[in-house]
Amino acid sequence: MQTQEIINVNIWLILISLCNLVILFLILKKFLFKPVKKVLAERQAEYDAKFAEADGKLAEAEAVKAELDAKFASADDEAERILKDAKDNAERRGVAIVTEAKDKADLIVKNAESEAELRRRKAEESIKDDIADVSVEIAEKIIGREVTERDHRRLVDEFINKMGDEE
Amino acid sequence: MNVNKVKGAKRKLDALDCLLIVLAALPIVACMVLKVLTNPASDGINISGPLIYFTIPTPIQPLYVTESQINSLAVILSVLFLCIFLTRGLKTRPDSTRQIVAEWIVEKTESLVKSNMGTYFSSFPPFIAAILALSALSSLLTLVGLFPPTSDLNVVAGWAILVFILITYYKMKCGPLHYIKEMASPVVMTPMNVISEIATPISMSFRHYGNVLSGSVVSALVGTALQGLSLSIFGGLPGPFGSFPYFRIGIPAVLSLYFDIFSGCIQAFIFAMLTMLYIANGFPEELYFKRKQKKNNKNDLIKSEVN
Repeated sequence: MQTQEIINVNIWLILISLCNLVILFLILKKFLFKPVKKVLAERQAEYDAKFAEADGKLAEAEAVKAELDAKFASADDEAERILKDAKDNAERRGVAIVTEAKDKADLIVKNAESEAELRRRKAEESIKDDIADVSVEIAEKIIGREVTERDHRRLVDEFINKMGDEE
Repeated sequence: MNVNKVKGAKRKLDALDCLLIVLAALPIVACMVLKVLTNPASDGINISGPLIYFTIPTPIQPLYVTESQINSLAVILSVLFLCIFLTRGLKTRPDSTRQIVAEWIVEKTESLVKSNMGTYFSSFPPFIAAILALSALSSLLTLVGLFPPTSDLNVVAGWAILVFILITYYKMKCGPLHYIKEMASPVVMTPMNVISEIATPISMSFRHYGNVLSGSVVSALVGTALQGLSLSIFGGLPGPFGSFPYFRIGIPAVLSLYFDIFSGCIQAFIFAMLTMLYIANGFPEELYFKRKQKKNNKNDLIKSEVN
C-alpha cells in the first residue's frame, strides 16, 4: 500500500485537521463544559442559599442570645436585691430578738433580785426571832426569874430594831 | 432525604454507561484492526509517512484519506463518547468518581486559561482543552501501536493555522488600521514583523510535528539496532532461537516512556501554552477597553441627544 511522504503539505488535509480541531472544540464545549458548568453553577446557587439560610439562623441565634443575656443581667440584679432585702430583714429581726431577750433577761434578773430581797427579809425576821428567844433565855438564867416573855420580847425587838436602824 | 446522598453509596454503572465505555474504546480498537489488516509486517528501518487508504480526486491537490485522518477521527469519537459518559447523571452533590473527574478537567482548564490569558478570554477553556486532548491523545496513540496523527505535518499545521487565525483576529480587535500600524511601528522593521507573524504557525507546527516524529524515528532506529545486536550475539543458536530479537524485549519500553508518554504530553501542553500566550499577548487589551469605553460614552451621548 502506498504511503505519504514524511514531509508533505496537502491543503485539504490541513483544512480537515483544522475542522477536526473546531469540531472537537464544539464537542468539548457542548458535552463537557456546558453540563459541568451548569452543575457547578447549580451547586454554587445551592451553597449560596444554604449560606444565606445559615446567616439568617445565626442572626436569629444572636438575637436570642442578646435577649437571654439581658434577661440574665436583670435576673442577677433581682437576685442581688432579694439577697439584700433578706439580709436587712434578718438584721432587723436579729436586733429585735436580741432586744427581746435582753428585756426578758432584765425581767428575770429583777424577779430574782426581788425574790432575794424577800428571802433576806424573811431570814432577817427569823434571825430576829431567834436572837430574841436566846436573849430571853439568857436573861432568865442571869436574872433567875421568870421574865414575862412577852415584855421581854418587846424590849429585845425594840433593841434589835434600833440596832438594825443604826447599822 | 435522597438515598443517593448517603455516604459511600456510589452509583453503579448501568447498561448505557457500559455501552458508552465500549463506544469510546471502539474507534481505537477499530483503528488497530485496520492497521493490522493493512500494514504488512516489515523488518528493518521503515520510516515513512502515514498510509494512504484511498485517494479522492479534488482540485488543486488530491485528497488523501490517510492513517492520520482516520486516527484523528477515532480520537475525536473517543473523546465524544468519553465526554458523554463523564457528564451522564451529573448532580449538585457528586456521587460518582466520573463527575469528580469531569469537574476536575473543567476547573483545571479554566484556571489554566485564567492564569495565562486573563478574564477576558472566558470562552477559551473548551478550545484549550480541545487542543490538549487532541494533541496528547493523538501522540499517545503510539502506545497502542497506531500511527500518531501528530507526526503528520498537515494535522499539526491545521491546528497552528487555526491558532494563527485566532491570533490575527484578536490583534485586529482594535481595527485593521491599528493592526497595520502595529506591524509597521518602526517602519524599518516591517518585513521582520511580517516574517515573525508568519513564522509563528510554522514554528508551532514544526515543533510539535518534529518532536513526535523524531520520537518515532529514534524508537525505530533503536529497535532495529537492538535487533541487529541480538542477531549478532545469539545468531549462532539453531532455528528460531537464533533469529529471535531478544534485546527488543523491554528495552525499547524505556524509550517509549519518554518519547511516547512524556514527550507526547509535554508537546501538547507546550502547544496549548503557546496558543494561550500568543493570543493573549496579541490582544491589545488596554486599548480595546479604552476604545470600548469611548464608544459607549459616545453612544450614551447620542442617546441622550435623541432623547
